[in-house]
Amino acid sequence: MSHLLAQLFPPSVLRPMELGADASILLGGLGIVLLLTRLRRWGWLWREWITTVDHKKIGIMYLIFAMVGLFRGGLDAVMLRTQLAIPNNTFLGPEHYNEIFTTHGTIMVFFMAMPFIFALFNIAVPLMIGARDVAFPKLNAISFWLFAFAFVLFNMSFVVGGSPNAGWTAYAPLTELRFNPGVGENYYLIALQISGIGTIATGVNFLVTILRMRAKGMTLMKMPLFVWSVLITSSLVIFAFPALTVALALTMLDRLFGTSFFTIAHGGMPMMYVNLFWIWGHPEVYILALPAFGIFSEVVATFSRKRLFGYPAMVGSLIAISLLSYGVWVHHFFTMGAGAAVNAFFGVSTMLIAIPTGVKIFNWIFTMWGGRIRMTVAMLWQLAFIPTFVIGGATGVMLAVVPGDYQFHNSYFLVAHFHNVLIGGVVFGLFSGLYYWWPKMFGYLLSERQGKWAFWFFLIGFWVTFFPQYLLGLKGMTRRIYIYPHGLGWSPLNLISTLGAYAMGIGFVILVYSVVYSWRHREPDLTGDPWDGRTLEWSLPSPAPEYNFAVLPEVTERDAWWEMKQEGRSGKVRAEDIGAIRMPRNTPVPFLLGMSFFVAGIGAVFSWWPIAIAGMLFVIALLVSGWFEEHDHHDIPAEEIRRTEAALGRLEG
Amino acid sequence: MSTPHSPAAHGGEEIEIALLAPKFEEHAFPWRQIFGYAASLVLTLGALLLVERHVLAPTALLVVILALAAIQAGLQLGLFMHLRESAGATWHVVTLAIGIGVAIGIVIFSIWIMTFKSGVS
Repeated sequence: MSHLLAQLFPPSVLRPMELGADASILLGGLGIVLLLTRLRRWGWLWREWITTVDHKKIGIMYLIFAMVGLFRGGLDAVMLRTQLAIPNNTFLGPEHYNEIFTTHGTIMVFFMAMPFIFALFNIAVPLMIGARDVAFPKLNAISFWLFAFAFVLFNMSFVVGGSPNAGWTAYAPLTELRFNPGVGENYYLIALQISGIGTIATGVNFLVTILRMRAKGMTLMKMPLFVWSVLITSSLVIFAFPALTVALALTMLDRLFGTSFFTIAHGGMPMMYVNLFWIWGHPEVYILALPAFGIFSEVVATFSRKRLFGYPAMVGSLIAISLLSYGVWVHHFFTMGAGAAVNAFFGVSTMLIAIPTGVKIFNWIFTMWGGRIRMTVAMLWQLAFIPTFVIGGATGVMLAVVPGDYQFHNSYFLVAHFHNVLIGGVVFGLFSGLYYWWPKMFGYLLSERQGKWAFWFFLIGFWVTFFPQYLLGLKGMTRRIYIYPHGLGWSPLNLISTLGAYAMGIGFVILVYSVVYSWRHREPDLTGDPWDGRTLEWSLPSPAPEYNFAVLPEVTERDAWWEMKQEGRSGKVRAEDIGAIRMPRNTPVPFLLGMSFFVAGIGAVFSWWPIAIAGMLFVIALLVSGWFEEHDHHDIPAEEIRRTEAALGRLEG
Repeated sequence: MSTPHSPAAHGGEEIEIALLAPKFEEHAFPWRQIFGYAASLVLTLGALLLVERHVLAPTALLVVILALAAIQAGLQLGLFMHLRESAGATWHVVTLAIGIGVAIGIVIFSIWIMTFKSGVS
């Protein structure tokens, strides 16, 4: 019993900060339970959300988790910067610091950025291509619940069992049992494995959705550019994630079953882990960045009131980036010491990526050229993105110069570079998409005024945080150190960087406040097209009805909805065109599947094998139950659809 | 539009639908799949035993287990992945070609990158 308690609650989870977090989690959880009970919302939660297969609702759930991930990852970042604000600080100890930078990176990549892009895939793609759902709605829900339970599993680590502490990259041999006892790394390996299954399924789902379910007349070259970016991203997911799966699985075998894939002893090769991790890791950068590029392409066209400049070149450069992204992974470990030929090859291939990316930058600028630009919050993020990302890209080319990289490697220069591209590219894009599609999700607009405050705090905070870090890197400050002495010339720059991080934190708080404020003071957007949009999702009411399109649209031009408006057509439909619509039915299986994986995951993390096996047996039983499911859809009668459309004011005549 | 419209049943241009429509072979009992499953188990166990029992010299061992892996990959693609079940599936061939290209590329590049080991050790 005492052994069990020691395993569940090692000293690292009993520090005052962790206990404080425990208390707030308990209180918050209790508050939510009480609120749901008082409002009698449990049935509603089950029927409308937990069992749903509707892509629009799944998108919103992804978004909620992404925001929670952003909160925790951001709080971690603020703690790290607080520790580094002054020399010889004692706010965090070394072990604590390791755990926090590990969770910061892991959460931001896997549990913030990934669900955020999947939120926008789900919300926008079916509506943009004129489809009623994704190709495999139940699989879509399974992807979400595997992600959600993996999110809970990973986030549990710091209150039960101990956090992982080997960095978000989890390099062997640091993750091997000999050097890293305890269950922390098991949490990392198992949680990422479970969410990875969901991610690969999402990749397959959206690839098939886009290839098979476009509206009549929407050829590939008439698709909105965001849809193109999702198509390419999906294929990147399918081809890149298996490498991560293998790297994680082999590390897990080493830790839990005593194999020696990445140990130095018994002929293992730790460097092979690094190799496998980055075979996934570099395409992953583009898995995050390409959807953001897609969002910017929609936003810039809409708010410049012009069609996107150089559409074929945009598509071509997306494809070029995706192909090149498979041939550059060694630039993450030039200093491993592979031969000159290897490093030269990967250095040059890395620099090549700047070309298609540059093409995209020019096309966005030329789209704005001569356009009638509206300075909405979504557009501001796009405008901030261009210079920010160009600088991030330029420092990336500096890092690609191999002899230079030997100096920059693992310094704060690198830290500044990848935050520059991942925040300046990905997060700016996600915020832009959030403001752009928010009315489509919820039927009202976010406050533009508060959005601008959040934007300026976040943008200025971003530069104040990360520009000094480039200089710190050049002054020799290395990554992942938790303390530094006086007199190295680092102190003022670190203090400035920390102040910037606080400003970004204030920006985030304003954003959250703005979401609550905008909801309380919401004015319904009855047009469904508040931005005078160009693509098909704006032809629908906001939020779109369950079946999306009462009558499936036919597309003749790119920017289909803009063309329809030019021809004087409205989004209205004729009553006699409406037929019954077959839609997928809600199912509890995805939720239960996630829960079973969670149970199996807990069993594997703590090596409680009976529990792990029981969890996997539930997984198999749930999958088998799918073979006998015959009532997986329901038909909405035409009369009901006519009533719904009439109530939305969308029937002609 | 009097017939119910399934979300999975409509696509882009008509011609694409005809090309992509899956054609499933239906059998009374999935013998083929069971054979594939059993064969996969045998091939895996065979590889494991060869490694455990040290019956072959290292180079010969590597060649044999790689061959066993290739056979199993082919079996699974053919028997489980519907490789032979859809006629004229353009995307199918494209995807498979990219997949094989990526797999071979990863192996060749990894070997090339890892040759540093002989240089340093």
